[in-house]
Amino acid sequence: MTRSISLALAICVAALALLPLWWAGVSAVRPGPDIFRYLSPLSIWSVLPRNPTAQNLTVLWTGPFARAMGNSLIVAGVTVAAGLALCSCAAFALAVLRFPGRPVVFALMVVSFLIPFDSIAVPLATLFRGFRLQNTYPGLILPGLGNGLAVFMLRQFFLGVPRELREAALVDGMGWWGIFTRIYLPLSRPALIGAGLILFVFQWQAYLWPLLIAPSPEMHVASIAVANFAGEFDVDYGEMFAATTFAALVPMLIILFFQRHFAASLASTGSKE
Amino acid sequence: MRAGRGEALAAALFLAPALVAVVVLRLWPTLQAVLLALDAGRGLSLDNFRFLFGDPEFLGALRTTLIFGLIVNPVQIALALGLAVLLNQNLPAVGLWRTLVLLPVAVPQSVSAVIWGVAMRPDGPLNAALAAAGLHPLPFLTSPATALASIIVIVSWVGVGYWMTFLIAGLKDIPPSLYEAAAIDGAGAWQRFWHVTLPQLRRPLTFVLVADTVANVLVFAPVQILTKGGPQGSTNLVMNEIFTRAFEADDPAGAAAATTVLVLVVVVIVAVQFRLMLGRDEPA
Repeated sequence: MTRSISLALAICVAALALLPLWWAGVSAVRPGPDIFRYLSPLSIWSVLPRNPTAQNLTVLWTGPFARAMGNSLIVAGVTVAAGLALCSCAAFALAVLRFPGRPVVFALMVVSFLIPFDSIAVPLATLFRGFRLQNTYPGLILPGLGNGLAVFMLRQFFLGVPRELREAALVDGMGWWGIFTRIYLPLSRPALIGAGLILFVFQWQAYLWPLLIAPSPEMHVASIAVANFAGEFDVDYGEMFAATTFAALVPMLIILFFQRHFAASLASTGSKE
Repeated sequence: MRAGRGEALAAALFLAPALVAVVVLRLWPTLQAVLLALDAGRGLSLDNFRFLFGDPEFLGALRTTLIFGLIVNPVQIALALGLAVLLNQNLPAVGLWRTLVLLPVAVPQSVSAVIWGVAMRPDGPLNAALAAAGLHPLPFLTSPATALASIIVIVSWVGVGYWMTFLIAGLKDIPPSLYEAAAIDGAGAWQRFWHVTLPQLRRPLTFVLVADTVANVLVFAPVQILTKGGPQGSTNLVMNEIFTRAFEADDPAGAAAATTVLVLVVVVIVAVQFRLMLGRDEPA
């Protein structure tokens, strides 16, 4: 009895969380004038498309939004690959190698990467303009590479790899690079997927940084393109909702696909007893 | 195990890219902001800070950020805790419900801002729903009385599922024997929550409070996209204030001073967060 009430509640909150995205998706396939048409009185057609059309989608994909999506995919993809390399190397040194000052370096690194770079985005943008990184892919990508959560999570995972494995490898004459790439990385798939997801999500939803560093239209990323729709004087709501839907769909599909990894890796960066 | 110079050299090489990133992407710009704020070109002075803390607009932004934080953090944590307790139960397809509640955090901030912005229009679906329930329409983002509350609704929709995830992990760490003992003592569901769950969740709750505070101090996208800090400064959170100072008011020194204040606050909170992540058994 209580269990079925709980289940009903669970379905309700899940539906509530999804509803705004659902409404955006439905509005994306409505003919332009219909978006605010079925609201009063509320009816089933408020949340389902009547006369669905693909017109908004085709208009959207022939416009500048396609390029923004492409930019976002490039930026997020490179961020995941390069960010994983950078974070896992650092995590390996911090978990496995012994060197003087390790706790200090660990604290410095995680704390500085945990500070969301939005807080220093304005001076960082000035610095990057000096490096001539404005309106370039490296300019968009570089600040997302170091991620405190990812370093912390990978380090926790590496700490759990049995010490005997690396001791045996050292006896066999394997170097540290071999131990890292042939023992630690293959054993750490779940942590690497989790860290990759964190890097991806941070970069995909970034707003302030791309706004500052990539103002020129051909370097816009999806999140900027979406916001620009809303800022237009004469908003085409159908096209705008189509853009929000695609910009939301990419991370949603990835999270749904890796759902257990994402939640588990987030949880592993929480507080420890 | 040997720990020679070779190992320290290897550590230096493994750490090099990340250390360069820390220095170039974090410390250097922070230092630049501090130097600009202190007017280092013409000898050190605190004039920028004096001016900033005498500027009613900046003080207003601080006050708005404080009020925002005092409301949004408890609201989000209470909701996240309720969701965590609900979705920690053994329900059919519970993983799916959890993922759906978590989804909004993965969506770009501009997407959630844009969708909610349209939903909150005078002729939008939220007012349609209020009318269907027989209630008066609300001005949402267009009135100083309701704009900040509307921003709170938007960022909470985004964040609550994310914080829930950490609390579910905390709930899973509570030994079942505690609940069994409480049940034997005849404790009801509410008493078990009050006397077992809450005290046992103290650490994860503190962690979420700290991390959530940092996230909310830095809220920017919904404000910049939907209200630009208005109406009448009612949603002018500190990030928007810095952005406006730097790019619209053409006051880079003021923006740098405000950034310095912000970074100081965030560093203190993040240091507490790091301490909590390490746990009791690991010295920092």
